[in-house]
Amino acid sequence: MSTQGVRRIPTYCYQCVAGPDLLTVKVVDGVATEVEPNFCAAAVHPGNGKVCVKAYGLVQKTYHPNRVTTPMKRTNPRKGRDEDPGFVPITWNEAFTLIAGKLNVIRAEALTDASGYPRVAASFGGGGTPQSYMGTFPAFLSAWGPVDMGFGSGQGVKCYHSEHLYGELWHRAFTVSPDTPLCDYLISCGANVEASGGVAGIFRHAEARTRGMKRVQVEPHLSVTGACSAEWVPIKPKSDAAFLFALMHVLLHELPRERLDVRFLARHTASPYLVGPNGWYLRDRATRKPLVFDALTQRAAAFDAKDVIETLEGRFDVDAIEVGPDDEVLSDGVVTGETGFTQLVAHMKAYSPDWAAGVCDVPAKTIRKIARQFVDHAHVGATIEIEGLTLPFRPVAVSLGKTVNNGWGGYECCWARTMLAALVGGLEVPGGTLGTTVRLNRPLSERLASATPGPDGFMSYPMNPTDKARWSPSPNIRNAYRSMVPLAGNGPWSQALGPTHFSWMFLDDTPKGLPRVTPPDVWFVYRTNPAISFWDTDALGDKMARFPFVVAFAFTRDETNHFADVLLPDATDLESLQLIRIGGSKYVEQFWNHQGFALRQPVVDAAGEARDMTDIATELAKRTGLLDKYNAAINRGAAGVPLANANGDFSLPVDAAHSRDAIWDAVCKAASAELSGGREIHDLAWFKAHGLATKPFPRTDWYLFPTMVERGLRFELPYQERLARVGAELGRRLHEHDMHWWDRQLDEYQALPKCKDFAAPWEAAVSVAGGKPVDFPFWLLTARSMQYAWGGNVGMQLIREVADNIAGHRGVIMNAQTAAKLGIDDADDIEIATPHRVVRGKAVLRQGIRPDTLLLLGQFAHWATPYAKDFGVPSMNALATMSMDLTDATGSGADIVRVSIAKAKGRAPSQAPMGRARARREMSGP
Amino acid sequence: MTRYAMAVDLNRCVGCQTCTAACKHANATPPGVQWRRVLDLEFGTYPDVARVFVPTACQHCDDPPCMDVCPTQATKKRPDGIVTIDYDVCIGCAYCVVACPYDARTKVTKPAFAYGTPMQNEAKRFDDARIGVATKCTFCVERIDDGTAKGLTPGVDPDATPACVNSCIAKALTFGDIDDPQSDVSKAVAGNAHFRMHEELRIGPRVYYLYDATREDTPIVEEAM
Repeated sequence: MSTQGVRRIPTYCYQCVAGPDLLTVKVVDGVATEVEPNFCAAAVHPGNGKVCVKAYGLVQKTYHPNRVTTPMKRTNPRKGRDEDPGFVPITWNEAFTLIAGKLNVIRAEALTDASGYPRVAASFGGGGTPQSYMGTFPAFLSAWGPVDMGFGSGQGVKCYHSEHLYGELWHRAFTVSPDTPLCDYLISCGANVEASGGVAGIFRHAEARTRGMKRVQVEPHLSVTGACSAEWVPIKPKSDAAFLFALMHVLLHELPRERLDVRFLARHTASPYLVGPNGWYLRDRATRKPLVFDALTQRAAAFDAKDVIETLEGRFDVDAIEVGPDDEVLSDGVVTGETGFTQLVAHMKAYSPDWAAGVCDVPAKTIRKIARQFVDHAHVGATIEIEGLTLPFRPVAVSLGKTVNNGWGGYECCWARTMLAALVGGLEVPGGTLGTTVRLNRPLSERLASATPGPDGFMSYPMNPTDKARWSPSPNIRNAYRSMVPLAGNGPWSQALGPTHFSWMFLDDTPKGLPRVTPPDVWFVYRTNPAISFWDTDALGDKMARFPFVVAFAFTRDETNHFADVLLPDATDLESLQLIRIGGSKYVEQFWNHQGFALRQPVVDAAGEARDMTDIATELAKRTGLLDKYNAAINRGAAGVPLANANGDFSLPVDAAHSRDAIWDAVCKAASAELSGGREIHDLAWFKAHGLATKPFPRTDWYLFPTMVERGLRFELPYQERLARVGAELGRRLHEHDMHWWDRQLDEYQALPKCKDFAAPWEAAVSVAGGKPVDFPFWLLTARSMQYAWGGNVGMQLIREVADNIAGHRGVIMNAQTAAKLGIDDADDIEIATPHRVVRGKAVLRQGIRPDTLLLLGQFAHWATPYAKDFGVPSMNALATMSMDLTDATGSGADIVRVSIAKAKGRAPSQAPMGRARARREMSGP
Repeated sequence: MTRYAMAVDLNRCVGCQTCTAACKHANATPPGVQWRRVLDLEFGTYPDVARVFVPTACQHCDDPPCMDVCPTQATKKRPDGIVTIDYDVCIGCAYCVVACPYDARTKVTKPAFAYGTPMQNEAKRFDDARIGVATKCTFCVERIDDGTAKGLTPGVDPDATPACVNSCIAKALTFGDIDDPQSDVSKAVAGNAHFRMHEELRIGPRVYYLYDATREDTPIVEEAM
């Protein structure tokens, strides 16, 4: 496509989960030279048409000298970190022949193995961002049949896992965000929005700060978000639940009840539902509907009875039944029931600020101040008009970061956060706490439409079955999400939302009751590097080495494709073509006033023999005899838009191999037809010229509350009867199959969660590993690096150069006073150790971190990726272990490790984590 | 009379370095050369700590010390306030690099590329005139001149505005004519608490740092400074 002159070509960047953002690339005489904002999109994009620093790395990515630009095959049959793969260039034809040969054998034999697991597996990078680059590859996977997409690369650990599951249950909030444009007071427990909120998040929070929003950042270190907050509260790691519970205590026990939104609680939550003596809702005998106590008639009534006036608090004798797990009737007759709210009040009594201060190291006075400020700013009773609709106005919210959200304590923190919103009526209303997307409920692109009526007046939820007839100990994929995690559901995203580390862990030791976990026969890897980005990275590499056939789409060599059998060079971000949905309400802070579609288009020719993912997918489909199914999948919408809709039929003939441009031309036409109701049909050429097409998205659709009211639904809070029931049933099913290794996780299914010592499992892990907890007195944490997070851009010199301006990119951040006590100076080499492993890095001394905490930004410690392998920066991932003890009921763990530190002696070893004995040898010097 | 100036809102800046990268793109600076960057500063002692991100670059001073020390008059100040370097006249003595109190100037003595040998984009934009001379932020002077020639307004129209300002995702940077009371930059300065870096040197820097005087950690910063 070399053309003379200067052009500015519109495209999009979706390198991180907080995208997409829109940009233009300046191309001079056919060479991409500059990235710039798409100023034409400023009117529709919530970040003013800007892109963040990561997009500026794309020019280097395009011309990177270490790119894999031809297909390659491994010549060394031995796999291992210390083995040279011996990659040699091959033709595309040879590559396809090799891959199709393996696939066709599988198709001829069986798609699943003796354990019942798919013989083909595929892993993609975090947050669904690879889907915006992989063209029609999903259509190939759809055509193939069963594929195990549960070999994680960090999911459940590096994401916002508890929020994804519980958030979607409670308010269709796969991701949760304050209504930043209207919020006045935000409690941010470790939510590092300035690093992970993307352009929209940063832009909106800057606007909010200028407007006067007060953000209180509660986290052990002074992150970039803390730096930009009005107040920093240095909380003890993994004790956020105590802090949040204490806030609830203040609201419930130290403030007059009228400071809360009593009407919201009574009318729009399950607070008035009566709970029986066995802990289950009391129900109408005939309809089995939960009962409330009608203040008017002074009698029990079904929750949805006409003209009922719910009594929020109290204890009442009513004629009812109480139904427990597996439909067992536990009470029948006149029984005493308490409202859920009354139970909540009693439950929270013990969690005072004075109690919490001893747990989370935040003064009781500070907790009380924050609680009162939260309520003061909530303006309970206030309303606001949005697009002609009068809605409650509650400009307060609580946001949670990933280590607060993940692993033990995640459920309790998410519950407390959502309850804080509910107590002031600030859930899903202007200014308050919002969900911004759904991924487990359908339709995925229409959050409000997914709020369909379910049982007991709540929204429906696609729980995996726990009843005796339908629960199965034989999962569909290796991480067993369908058997172990009811909340994960069973949709397209569910495989990545189960315990994705189990796929790796169980390869060595499958727990009793599950079919033996096997390596997949063929493993596709795209835009992910689990050998760096997950935990226990050395062990992970050893397991990958056992996989018999690995196909890696490769930008450069890296730590995961080191174990590959075939490398395929895909056309990168500025070289390939795809249309995606933009706007509406998406991840993180990407809720827009517009919605539509944007095109990513080649701004320059693909390097070498790199091919577009769509062309690769089409050829794979052709060579595996799946072309008809592949095209049919595209027609159904596997490229993002059904090609036949009410506004036109742009379906592709299923019996032919279509060119990339023909496929996306059809998608462009179908998308524009959908967007305009058939009035404007735009082809690929139009989108190439204009970049995007949008229409207004109603702001009222940011809020779920009006939909809940319209459909007569209540938020499933505070009492978690459904979760308790599911947990009890799951426990029974597991025990019926003599499976007891999940018992600890079953304890998480509580109707009213208790606050526990959620840091204890990580301290206990030291003892399990043979160490003494006293010898490992530091908490090692991670935080996202704004410049790198999700980007897969660690090999970009530009990114490295500018990221180094921010503290922590060259080593481990530690408290300066602690360092002084240990005789450690800035830039000294230090050892960070667990009982079994040691890594080494430079000390970065700062004041903005607790004395008991260490911080490693991002995830580095590369040993194969060109350029990055010379960084010399360690990673927590090498020290963290995958462990059942550190896995919560949703299947997630948290980025936190107990470690020791010491000034290093001797020469610097390689970046690989070492056994302690080897470390001693290497570090003792010659 | 037009005098260009920049306002940096410290309450908005998040230290993301997007402006740093955008500047490198717009001006094709070699690896390690940052005509602008964002400093990551800490003030105070744990637990009373403030962390502040401070974008810094050439301040286009009214009385620039770099110009005073230049033996060849390569460094000049335009009537609109922009401090320029004539690469044809600069002899690379680096006096100006030492004289600048903002560490804003760099001298590169040999070609350097991101990965050793030049990539296509680097080869396309390599400028031999920049070797062996002092370089620094120009407020994207060519963009301003091209833009104003087309009737565009610097600080308003992207094609007449410095790349860093265009790129900022927090809207922390404002640019324009400080002599025009109606310009965005004049309004930003007039409407906020602000300071200029090293004002005590009386060299008239034209970058204004805005801050939120009501923030709880402001006293920590003020005491430290």
